[in-house]
Amino acid sequence: MLTEQSAYTNRWRWVSPTAKGILTCSGIVAAFAASSPRASLLVAALLMATAIFGAGIPATRYLRVGAPALLFLGASCLSLLVTLKFTHGGGTLTMQSNPAELSHIARMCGRSCACLTALLLLTLTTPLSDIISLLRSCKVPDTLLDLMTLCYRTLFVLSAAIHETITAQSARLGHSTLALSLRSMGGLVANLTIQVWQRSQALHIAALARNNDGALRFLEHPFAHSRRHITMASGAGVTLILLAVLIP
Amino acid sequence: MHIMEGFLPVSHAIGWSIASAPFVAVGLRSINKKIAEHPEQRMLLGVAAAFTFVLSALKMPSVTGSSSHPTGTGLGAILFGPTALAPIGGVVLLFQALLLAHGGITTLGANIFSMAIVGPFAAVAVFRGATALRLPFGPSVFLAASLADVMTYLTTAAQLALAFPDPAGGFLASLAKFAGVFAITQIPLAICEGFLTVVVMNALIRFNARELREMNVTPREVIRA
Repeated sequence: MLTEQSAYTNRWRWVSPTAKGILTCSGIVAAFAASSPRASLLVAALLMATAIFGAGIPATRYLRVGAPALLFLGASCLSLLVTLKFTHGGGTLTMQSNPAELSHIARMCGRSCACLTALLLLTLTTPLSDIISLLRSCKVPDTLLDLMTLCYRTLFVLSAAIHETITAQSARLGHSTLALSLRSMGGLVANLTIQVWQRSQALHIAALARNNDGALRFLEHPFAHSRRHITMASGAGVTLILLAVLIP
Repeated sequence: MHIMEGFLPVSHAIGWSIASAPFVAVGLRSINKKIAEHPEQRMLLGVAAAFTFVLSALKMPSVTGSSSHPTGTGLGAILFGPTALAPIGGVVLLFQALLLAHGGITTLGANIFSMAIVGPFAAVAVFRGATALRLPFGPSVFLAASLADVMTYLTTAAQLALAFPDPAGGFLASLAKFAGVFAITQIPLAICEGFLTVVVMNALIRFNARELREMNVTPREVIRA
């Protein structure tokens, strides 16, 4: 996963997750508080520059991660640009472009871009295990955190199993036609579903062997200069929000 | 179909989060109860969440040639029940936002409502309805999985239409627009996922009949046959 690769290799890996969380929340608040599309696009540009130049995320990887969301944004904006008119008498349907809505759409586009860059700043610089620790400090229920921890620790194992199975199926021409591909996919998912039971049983036995009788706890990384990072992130966040509100 | 980060106005984002919260809370309560009775279920639910996540990364053969992926909503609802799927779906959607930038944190409530609440409940309702009508097992599973996808996609279109009503035609015209634009990928996806879920259930009946019987998923005569 591209985000995970960046999260473990960027320059901000050892910056406190709380500080990065504060900066992300400030970015989202700034996106919603922005007074104009120009202001929200400026917020987006600043957050993107912070991730690329500050945290050292490669620009191509950044764009690849954001591309699916931008595709959704493009399709949705296309829908908003067009107006449908139902004519009751003739029972016809007319479609026309709506230039009056342009400023509204531009504002929404700017807001989405700014929020997306805020989210990417967090996800591309912070491993999910650190985000789960951050959520634990925010008093998220233990059951939900256990689900997240188990999900995170198992998804790479299942991903590896999927890749191996697809390679084996492809080697036997299991994906050569649409029908064969659907059949192979069905076999793969069914096999994985069975593995869900087997692997969970194995995990349960392993946890019992370690005397586990409650929530799953793991050692957390200590973050040096945490207080300094949080102060800096808070300052940057307030500045970002002020910029978004004050820029016309 | 995930609504992207920041796309919904703040009032809608908060509103959908409030609407989803009770379902997630009830789901968590039912999971806690299950775990208290059967501690091994904690691992099962966690691994099931990972399974749902990796399903969304699979590329499914689609009749339009578009890149589609299974959602696992129908399969998960039939296997684990719709109540447990709200928190599991919430975790999966949060992971998709954080690991793949699909969806978002501000739109998490809206996405949970469409994918982890409406979809699973629709799947179970259709599956039980079809079973009550004595439809064969395969078509029942196909209808449940396909209609769960269709309901999820229609709910998302309705959420977008509520947030952005058409200036001339209002909510209905906006719903028609959003549903029309996303139908190109979502309808073939629903049909393909329906077939895929049938293939998966058939394989499970062949190789994992005991587990399915314990979960009351399949009628005994289907397993015996």
